[in-house]
Amino acid sequence: MTYQPSATTTRTPSFAPSETAAECAVRVDGVTLRFGAVVAVDNLSLTVERGQTVALLGPNGAGKTTTISMLLGLSTPDAGSIAVFGAAPGSPAAHASVGAMLQDGGMMPGVRVGELLALVRSLYAAPLALDEAIEISQMHGLERRRVDRLSGGQSQRLRLAMALIGDPRLLILDEPTAAMDVETRRGFWHAMEGFTDRGRTILFSTHYLEEADVTADRIVMMARGRVVADGTPSAIKDSVGLRVIRFSIAGSGIAGSGIAGIDTLPGAVSATAHGNRVELRCRDSDAALRSLLATRPEAYDIEVAGVALEDAFITITDGIAA
Amino acid sequence: MIKYLFLELRRSLRDRRYLLLVAGWPAAAYLLFSTVFGAAADRSEGLPPTVEIMIAMASFGAMGGVLMASGPRLAMDRQLGWLRQLRLTPLSPARILGARLIAAMALSLPAIVLTFISAALVKGVSLPLWEWPVLVLVIAAGCLPFAAIGILVGTITDGDGAQGLTMVLYLVLAALGGLWMPVQILPSALQTVAKTLPSYHLAQLGWHVAHGVAPAVGDGLVLLAWFGGAALVAVAASRRLSLRTA
Repeated sequence: MTYQPSATTTRTPSFAPSETAAECAVRVDGVTLRFGAVVAVDNLSLTVERGQTVALLGPNGAGKTTTISMLLGLSTPDAGSIAVFGAAPGSPAAHASVGAMLQDGGMMPGVRVGELLALVRSLYAAPLALDEAIEISQMHGLERRRVDRLSGGQSQRLRLAMALIGDPRLLILDEPTAAMDVETRRGFWHAMEGFTDRGRTILFSTHYLEEADVTADRIVMMARGRVVADGTPSAIKDSVGLRVIRFSIAGSGIAGSGIAGIDTLPGAVSATAHGNRVELRCRDSDAALRSLLATRPEAYDIEVAGVALEDAFITITDGIAA
Repeated sequence: MIKYLFLELRRSLRDRRYLLLVAGWPAAAYLLFSTVFGAAADRSEGLPPTVEIMIAMASFGAMGGVLMASGPRLAMDRQLGWLRQLRLTPLSPARILGARLIAAMALSLPAIVLTFISAALVKGVSLPLWEWPVLVLVIAAGCLPFAAIGILVGTITDGDGAQGLTMVLYLVLAALGGLWMPVQILPSALQTVAKTLPSYHLAQLGWHVAHGVAPAVGDGLVLLAWFGGAALVAVAASRRLSLRTA
């Protein structure tokens, strides 16, 4: 119930060795990384096609940061293989095509924003124009500011600018909006649109389900170092199979027989009552609704809804934890 | 790499307090020592005291500038995550290290130049004209081992630890290496130790030039050995650390 092999993960068959243009952005194959007794990433396989915006979603300790750190060549897997556009992470070819924003990435102290960006820009073969990077990351007017005198939000925007100034084909962002309030977060993703429009591949990790839902084409949900769900935001919700039917039953109905019998309707999972309003969680809401209407014709004010991603997330990760 | 080197240098130049400390302190110490001991007869190295002390203090300041520009700064950059960020760019680790070594070496210059200027202007030291630039270059180049020692310190320690360890090394190397006082006044056991230290051989390079002769090959070899040893240990330590903290 929890794992949904997604159509979007199927590999493009490579026709000839020279067909490097068809090489996918990220290919992770059976990767495991342990820290002592802790298995941070457990036999993880993941393919990201070019042009996708993929959210890596999961609770703390799910292995998101460890996965990103291996993709960037900052740590080496104990087992399995990783390729970024066909190149080994950490190789010069990979560095040239990947830009990254780390949670613990720092800035060179004692220099100005403009100087730092000019430096990072000079390290790439075909970078963005300085003005363009400043424009996308909304750093106007801060070019002469010392990097150690930026506010938290400004620092984060500078990290973004450093990540994208090389015009990377793949942008990897580790919880880019973790420290931002809702407004700033919206501004951040708005700024990112200018970059995704260019057909770039983006892989970002987040705790924010709403953010993944709104921003990503695809969500890869991780828990305990494994992928527990993978698909479009709506496929994730479907794979969980939970929909909710809410309805009311006239007072005597609930007082009389309670909700007994309702949660055993075909397709239903569980039911809760608040006053005379009942919430029925379903695996198959169509079947449940049909039998509900047959057995409880007194039900009124009926409403069927998909569960929020937040609920899907809790259901899936609870399933893993159990 | 050139851009990175320039930015490292600009960062140093912007830190006025640090520059004043690394250059002003040895120059001031020079004026003090050469005034106190300047009346004495020629000392152990057979040079006028004002010249001998000038070279000792220039070496002392150069060593300090290099040690402080490499170790604590590397530790700080690592702690801030700047090194991690830089490692994600196409700039190779060897070039990052190369730029940092050169930038640290450049920080030997302010102390040397300021001490020489003080000597020439205040103490009336005069040397054959060619000796001045040669002395600057020889002392600066002789600081190579201190850049490597600093990188080692910055690799194995964090922020405050790096500051502390650097200061201890700096003072021990200066005192035992004969930069504050001739090694001849040390007990003979310590003299043996002193003659293995890079600081001792750094001063010897300068004193040779002041005598108008070429620096001894032996001094150069000892300095190179220190550089090689410190560099090897630093590389080994960084490998171990990166495996542990990956």
